[in-house]
Amino acid sequence: MKRSEQTAPAQGEQKKLTGKQRFRRVEPYIWIAPSVILMAVFILVPIFFVFRLSMSHVTKAGLIKDFAGFENFAKVLKTPAFGMILKNTLVWTVVVVVLSTVLGFMLALVLNNKFHGRKIARAIVVFPWATTLVIQASTWKFIIDTDFGTLNTLLLRLGIIKQAVNWTPTPEAYFGWEMACGIFVTIPFVTFCVLSGLQSIDASLYEAATVDGASYFQKLFHITLPLVRPSLTVSTVLNIIYVFNSFPIVWVITKGDPANRTDTLVTYLYKLAFYRGRQGEAAAVSVLGFLILLVCASVYMVYTLRKGDES
Amino acid sequence: MSKPDTMTLNKKPLSLKKVVLRLLLYFVVLDVCVITLYPYFAMFCTALKSRSEIFSANGTVFPIQPLWSNFIDIWKKAPMARYMLNSLIIAGGSTVIAMVCGIPAAYALSRMRFKGQTAFLGFIIVSQMFAPVVLLIGIYSVMMRLGLTDSLLGLILINAAFNQAFTVWLLRGTFMSISAEMEQAATIDGCSRVQAMLKVLLPVAAPGIVTTLIFIFINAWNEYTVALTLISSNTLKPMTVGINIFNGYDMIEWQYLFASSIFAIVPVVILFMCIEKNLVSGLASGGVKG
Amino acid sequence: MKKPLALLLALSMSLSLAACGGGGTTESKAPEESKAADPAPAQSQAAEPSGEKVTINVIAAQYGQNTNAWYDDFVKEFNDTYPDINLVLEVVSWADIYTVVNTRIANGNAPDVLNIDVFADYQADDLLVPIKEVVSDETYAKLYPAFLEESNVDGTIWAIPDLASARAMYYNKDILDAAGVTEIPTTWDELKAACEKIKAYDANIYPWGVDMTTDEGQACFAYYTWNNGGGFTDADGNWILNCDANVEAVEYAIDLVNSGLTNTDPANDNRYTLQDMFGAGQLAMMIGPNSIPTYVEANGYSVNYGFGAIPTNGGNPSVSAGVMDRFMCFKKDGRTDAEVEAIKTFFDFFYEDERYNEWVLMEGFLPATEAGGEALAAADPAQAPWVDIIGSCKFYPVAKAEWADVKQGVIDVEQQALLGGDVRELLDNLQAEIAG
Repeated sequence: MKRSEQTAPAQGEQKKLTGKQRFRRVEPYIWIAPSVILMAVFILVPIFFVFRLSMSHVTKAGLIKDFAGFENFAKVLKTPAFGMILKNTLVWTVVVVVLSTVLGFMLALVLNNKFHGRKIARAIVVFPWATTLVIQASTWKFIIDTDFGTLNTLLLRLGIIKQAVNWTPTPEAYFGWEMACGIFVTIPFVTFCVLSGLQSIDASLYEAATVDGASYFQKLFHITLPLVRPSLTVSTVLNIIYVFNSFPIVWVITKGDPANRTDTLVTYLYKLAFYRGRQGEAAAVSVLGFLILLVCASVYMVYTLRKGDES
Repeated sequence: MSKPDTMTLNKKPLSLKKVVLRLLLYFVVLDVCVITLYPYFAMFCTALKSRSEIFSANGTVFPIQPLWSNFIDIWKKAPMARYMLNSLIIAGGSTVIAMVCGIPAAYALSRMRFKGQTAFLGFIIVSQMFAPVVLLIGIYSVMMRLGLTDSLLGLILINAAFNQAFTVWLLRGTFMSISAEMEQAATIDGCSRVQAMLKVLLPVAAPGIVTTLIFIFINAWNEYTVALTLISSNTLKPMTVGINIFNGYDMIEWQYLFASSIFAIVPVVILFMCIEKNLVSGLASGGVKG
Repeated sequence: MKKPLALLLALSMSLSLAACGGGGTTESKAPEESKAADPAPAQSQAAEPSGEKVTINVIAAQYGQNTNAWYDDFVKEFNDTYPDINLVLEVVSWADIYTVVNTRIANGNAPDVLNIDVFADYQADDLLVPIKEVVSDETYAKLYPAFLEESNVDGTIWAIPDLASARAMYYNKDILDAAGVTEIPTTWDELKAACEKIKAYDANIYPWGVDMTTDEGQACFAYYTWNNGGGFTDADGNWILNCDANVEAVEYAIDLVNSGLTNTDPANDNRYTLQDMFGAGQLAMMIGPNSIPTYVEANGYSVNYGFGAIPTNGGNPSVSAGVMDRFMCFKKDGRTDAEVEAIKTFFDFFYEDERYNEWVLMEGFLPATEAGGEALAAADPAQAPWVDIIGSCKFYPVAKAEWADVKQGVIDVEQQALLGGDVRELLDNLQAEIAG
């Protein structure tokens, strides 16, 4: 890139201009090329593979036979449990994303203050994020267990309860704990996205607002929120996707049991693919999930990008 | 509790309201820390117990007889140091490659206008919409063709690719919030675009870059499913897959699993402590620092 | 503060560069690399790779935490003994083995030899070699013929058993005594009566353990249906999932749960949880594998227990459930005679009496060879009854193509029934789905 700029002046005036212009035109593509190539090879190709799988007859051992059209999709949509699984997935995504975003945002505001031990507090908040999800989920399962869970033991020893409590009497209770675990591990991500956004806010804005007599919440909604919106948008869009596709938490704690009551699309398709040898249908489930995400994310992005452009 | 309060803390006499707010702040922080640390406390206590104590009908919070040997045994039972090193290589390598590919892309998106800009942003998001679990077979197929199965390089590239979305999006936002004037000035002074980016823009964008770094590093450090299917040599396994040895056919060795998991957190926390300071530095917040 | 960061980045960059070698031919480079860095790696090659060397790839299941170490020694010894063969063996945990294996197979990258529980799906896709072609007559003759028959499809044996386990009812003697249960229950009625006595004695003890999880809920189905004259298939191998005996059996198990006589959460408490609760004295009785004595001892539990036949109903003879895992060999284009010989050598080496017995004993399972059975009975009188039990127990119909769906299907039925579903209706639906 540099060489072409240096050698250009040696040539004629007119040629130099067109050369530079031509370079200007292709320059952005050179800048994005590494990123595009990386993603195309390692993500886009596998995605095409999933699409192909979803439209094929696949044997139980995973060999692709012939074209199946939308047969796999039809089979999946006809499964009686599919509606419930879809509902679970949406509840899971909405609850985890909304609560972790709100709580993560609040936590970022708190951690943005100066106080003694802030460095330690920030390091502690990273913990849930720094732990593999499989281990994190195993720990939660271990904590809430009725028979030997550490939560019961702790409360019993502290004298808060007299009898071991069954924390998971219903499938809904299990799902609730799974969502709590999901929120717990997602908060640090939101917190640090917002924290990094908060750093770029000019303190003089607050001072001016204070002089004008603005209340804390006025400042929060009129200064802080609009300015951290770019980082919040990124974290929210990605969170929706990551949470929607989250696998280890539900898998480790309940495997979707009992009878699909705590299944999300991903745990369900995992069982289809690797427990029942139905990779075609599993691929169809993931394509359906993809379409849902695509709709949600594009609506959200169009909305926020437009709003961002206006302001 | 917002910034101005803390800034003026030392200058003005403390009012009752301020004291209450301070106490409230410490109370909230303390609560958050306790709740966050509780699972680790449980992990730690469990890691020090014998199996029969873990499942004892008459459970204890603290181990009756702490078995510190559990923390030593895991190093004998599995090549833990090797796993740790592999994880470091994968996470470090992924971070470097993701940044090297992501920074120019984010720069182009924030400083240049070109056809397909929106399409590229959309493409990045779309690339994230399939769970890795779903893509396993396809990923393996690509890696086989490139001869990268059972290699750390393969895992590094995959992790770098999966983290492009966050890298590009967050850095684009960070770069856009920084005025281009200084770079333009630098360009007039004879800097090339690349030099202007490296010398002028990146130092200012430190908080965003640090956040991105931590994010990629942690994600790659924790990656499990792809490593599981791609790596077959025991000597190339990362921590996450390696400690599966304690997750046997007839039982999960909770005490060893938790002991090794605690070790696995350490490098990440150290890394974070080292670069945490950058989260509050950078030019934008330079004026805030008292 | 910038220094540590830069240092770390530089370090990780150089490390990753070192690890990647010159790039390109990573496939062959990786093992060498790891050898250089680790003096005792799991899969280091014994000698310099030479042109004529025959490589065979094996994936083995990880049964316990000693499996890896045992196979490390095995590989080393094997490659030392047979310098012409390069044995590459990978141990995969049970939780992940299906993911790992199916991913490879879908990409046409199956191992030469695989150690897993199921085989019918691979056979149906014509991926397997008839096992006799790659096992020497001598080794083949060592195996229990009845076990071999479990891998028979269309008159051909497709896999050989590596080991087996059988199930029986375990009971906590102290709890039963204290609760006034004098006779060990042998029928369903006696079992329920015993459970009620235990519950009356101490409400904090679970009388009976039930596992209806995605892990192993099909075992629960087998315990009750087989001991009620029902089961998965009839004598001709047709699915009979909704027969009256099965409906009655599942309803009986669900009734035990609903009467509060079992662990609280059968859909999530798997067998390993039950074993630990049994060891800790929280659970009075359960159906478990022959490895429970080893398990109890290894984990320092001090439970006073005995074991007996699984209770039955309607005068049916007690049936033990057997579980068997297998070795199978995948087809490969252009496999040379030398490679076939190498695979035979591998099996000969593995099933060598002393080595094989040591392995089975270490894993706490039952041998699949007659010599192994005799050795086990001689070495440990406590295990002797098991050698008889394993000879007479029933196995899952894994040779049938629908097995994976049936397995998940009966688990789903159990869990639906736990949530209040009608057992007959659920089993009727499953039968209709499976048998068409």
